[in-house]
Amino acid sequence: MTQTNYAAPADFIARSRPALMAGVVGVVLCGIGFAVAREQFYRAYLIGYLLWLGIPLGSMALLMVHHLSGGAWGVVIRRIFEASSRTLPLLAILFLPIAAGMHSLYPWTNETLVAHDHILHAKSPYLNTPFFLVRAVIYFACWIGLSTLLSKWSLAQDGGDVNAARKMQRLSGAGLVIYGLTITFAAVDWVMSLNPKWFSTIMGFLFMGGHGLIALAFTVVIATALARRAPMDHVFKPVHFHDLGKLMLAFVMLWAYFNFSQFLIIYSGNLAEEVPYYITRLSNGWQYVALGLLLLHFVLPFSMLLSRDLKRNANRLITIAVLVIVMRLVDIAFLVSPEFNSAGANLHAGEDAVSSAFVNWLDVAAPLAIGGIWVAYFLRQLGSRPLLPLREPDLAKAIAATGGH
Amino acid sequence: MADAHASDGRVRPLVIEPGHSFESVTGSISEIVLTQKPTKGWFLGLTIGFALLMGLLLAIMNLLVTGIGIWGNNVPVGWAFDIINFVWWIGIGHAGTLISAILLLFRQQWRTSINRFAEAMTLFAVACAALFPLLHTGRPWLSAFWLFPYPNTMGLWPQFRSPLIWDVFAVSTYATVSAMFWFVGLIPDLATLRDRATSPVQRTIYGALAMGWRGSAMHWQRYETAYLLLAGLSTPLVLSVHTVVSFDFSVSQLPGWHATVFPPYFVAGAIYSGFAMVLTLAIPLRKFYKLTDFITMHHIHNMAKVMLVTGLIVSYGYMNEAFFAWYSGNNFEQFMMKNRMFGPYGWAYWLLISINAGVVQLFWFRKVRDNIGLLFVLSIVVNIGMWLERFVIIVTSLHRDFLPSSWAMYYPTRWDFTMYFGTIGLFVSLLFLFIRFLPMISIFEMRTMVPEAKVHDEKLEAL
Amino acid sequence: MSASTSSTPAIYGLTAEFVNPSELVAAANRARIAGYRNMDAYSPMPIEELNEALALPKTRLPRLVLAGGIAGTVLGMGLEYWASTIAYPMNIGGRPEFTWPSFIPVAYETTILGAALSAVVGMIVLNGLPQPYHPVFNAPRFHRASQDRFFLCIESADPQFDRQGTEQFLKGLGPQEVTEVAW
Repeated sequence: MTQTNYAAPADFIARSRPALMAGVVGVVLCGIGFAVAREQFYRAYLIGYLLWLGIPLGSMALLMVHHLSGGAWGVVIRRIFEASSRTLPLLAILFLPIAAGMHSLYPWTNETLVAHDHILHAKSPYLNTPFFLVRAVIYFACWIGLSTLLSKWSLAQDGGDVNAARKMQRLSGAGLVIYGLTITFAAVDWVMSLNPKWFSTIMGFLFMGGHGLIALAFTVVIATALARRAPMDHVFKPVHFHDLGKLMLAFVMLWAYFNFSQFLIIYSGNLAEEVPYYITRLSNGWQYVALGLLLLHFVLPFSMLLSRDLKRNANRLITIAVLVIVMRLVDIAFLVSPEFNSAGANLHAGEDAVSSAFVNWLDVAAPLAIGGIWVAYFLRQLGSRPLLPLREPDLAKAIAATGGH
Repeated sequence: MADAHASDGRVRPLVIEPGHSFESVTGSISEIVLTQKPTKGWFLGLTIGFALLMGLLLAIMNLLVTGIGIWGNNVPVGWAFDIINFVWWIGIGHAGTLISAILLLFRQQWRTSINRFAEAMTLFAVACAALFPLLHTGRPWLSAFWLFPYPNTMGLWPQFRSPLIWDVFAVSTYATVSAMFWFVGLIPDLATLRDRATSPVQRTIYGALAMGWRGSAMHWQRYETAYLLLAGLSTPLVLSVHTVVSFDFSVSQLPGWHATVFPPYFVAGAIYSGFAMVLTLAIPLRKFYKLTDFITMHHIHNMAKVMLVTGLIVSYGYMNEAFFAWYSGNNFEQFMMKNRMFGPYGWAYWLLISINAGVVQLFWFRKVRDNIGLLFVLSIVVNIGMWLERFVIIVTSLHRDFLPSSWAMYYPTRWDFTMYFGTIGLFVSLLFLFIRFLPMISIFEMRTMVPEAKVHDEKLEAL
Repeated sequence: MSASTSSTPAIYGLTAEFVNPSELVAAANRARIAGYRNMDAYSPMPIEELNEALALPKTRLPRLVLAGGIAGTVLGMGLEYWASTIAYPMNIGGRPEFTWPSFIPVAYETTILGAALSAVVGMIVLNGLPQPYHPVFNAPRFHRASQDRFFLCIESADPQFDRQGTEQFLKGLGPQEVTEVAW
């Protein structure tokens, strides 16, 4: 190994400035949106928030998977995962607008509605404002706790702590269980309860799959950028991108698998309490979004990622990664928006209403605002540590040309 | 011990004990088939299996003569032991494909010594599973008529919207692909047996099966491509099979069956019980056939870890079912869950929970994963737990359905049990015949694990 | 084996036996560089490096498998479409006759079946198996090619083949033994 400390290249970290600027533009736009179309703002903010939250949570989950399973793919990108997962405190703060907009987003917060609706009333021990907030605090406490410990021990390993690897491995087992449970209930709270009468038991898996996918796609983008510069240019080899591409392919397939399973089961059961979910999403224009998701979130990335040459070529893999990130946004919008009418009001809050496909300028502004701030913070986190875990015993093997397992 | 502890406290696993050469690997695996006399233990095992198999034949005969009235099925519980055992067996089969295909794609070397008998296990388990749908009407000759699409004089076609037809396609594809995967894996080893055969009978049979394999470089290239493609195809296939099995339940409208989480939860349960069965078989096999050099503690450890992961996913499924039964706000869902927990079959529910969500937690501990005897017992316990899971899902959802006037209890009869244990006999018999006549560890893949197998190309660079 | 006529060479070729894959790969490389083309290596396990050393063409199998998979999809979905809308249309719960979501599982399985069948049958047929007789088995110690030895065979069909010269060349590669392979 060459004598270098693998510090992050300054010119790359300096991109946090334009990112922050983009974020500020987004925040200003969101401010205008908040003033003129508050309901649209909250809805769009939820979409943007869920999009970016997927990256640190997915990164943390994959980091823990890597601590348990090992493998060259994870060693070289571990620091990217760790930097992502250290942004969770920022996302905890960014959750505040959702807490503030609860009444606009979630119809079960309306007490008169709940009092007159038997089912909502029956669900109120779970779906009520204080408990919702307490749960959010618990989720973030778990996530921040896990990411902090993993990051701390990883740094201790750089400092020569030989027990750190073992500690990270031990925590990761329990950590994945905690992640699985918290994200399942978070998915119920933040998305499923937009339509408080609808339920689908696969929702937790859908979120986990989505998180893994966007975390990998984002990591590919960062890794490709790093691979163009010293010191990482001689570390990243085609085989590493090949592994990342394979994992992305697996997650693209998982996404399709979970979604198709849910669709086929609800479609075949055709039960009055479930099927409206798909009736809404397959009519009034939303069906074209669904078709777009099928083609661009599954068919295109799937068939492209089958190619070995594409997976080994970072410059081509990055286009798929960017496509995946964009389609994650569309997918999350497709989860959230059809529960609202084009004015941004929740369909289940009042009279039965129909949602026609719509998109609002805030659907771009809110992801931009959160994303700009988040990326800036992420880059600073990435710059704060060496880009490789230098004392990791598997490091030499991982950066050897064969990328052995 | 097979594991070498490195300085950082983590474990550097060994997938083969040191000191082996191409010759020793070839010799020690092939001699089990070619020259060793079958042991008393082998005869004893085969006898037990064969006796149970006779019970199966008896049960089938009685079924064909009398009809399905010999079983405990009744009107609300129209699906009982047949589907329970079918799902249980199919699930067991899944570990074999998982080991041979998914671990190959992930380049996990530890699969090498266990993939052959895991694949055999898949085939035999699928054979046992397939018996139940064929026989569940008591009139197996009608199965062809109802299940398979073929032009017939009445112009009837199968109902392709039914998950039961999806199941026919999934299971028959699975059986075909597993058999091909297994056979393709065997071809080079059959050539080895042909070339080491000590009698003309052996030479002729293994030679015919090896089809003239000569290990040419171009053959190996196509072979490796085909094998990898088959692995790539088997992976989505194995996931789809248990997904389709879960559709048998979940696309219906019955509370307790209709749940979107079923596909991944069933797949995890299948892998969980499948790995339990691999352990149940591998632990005695490695002891009696002295294969501890090839099936090392590293393998046992990894299998226990896979069981931990899949067991936790299954437990997550139970939690999901219970939570969403309440969260749905639907009376029928809530009643189903209450009845499942505290109704007449509550004992089965709590037993399964204590095994699949409780006992599985033991696998967190390294000491448990190191204890071969305990693992053997636990693997059997897990198989019982997974059988109970299917029992609970099927019987408790059916026996008290929407209409209280049609509620009834379900009690299996001795013929139900004879048939169930009979399939275990079929499985055991096939397995004992397999380890007697075919190499239970892939010899050619074990050769690639020998240190010499790595090509050192310093000469290449010189050229 | 019977004696040859003047038009066919007297022997199938010459084999050199090696004890490990590294030697075989090195030998194959040298033989290629020395200009030999009609040769083959035989080993008891796959050796990826031989593809390069022998300059083997890439197999067509993946394309065959893709075609088999597509054929499976078309046939599976076609069967379902034809049976449910043309041959025996039936109203099931008010669903359209062509209930495409319900038809996906079967079409998926037939896709995999088609692809897997073409992979296995394709591999066997392209490899020319089953092949009851092949001259290379006449090499005296060739039965070890499926066990623990590695053979390089330069065939007499090679334009550069020369009974003595090639034997000398092979001996120069440091094999255990060089032997003639009769027809």
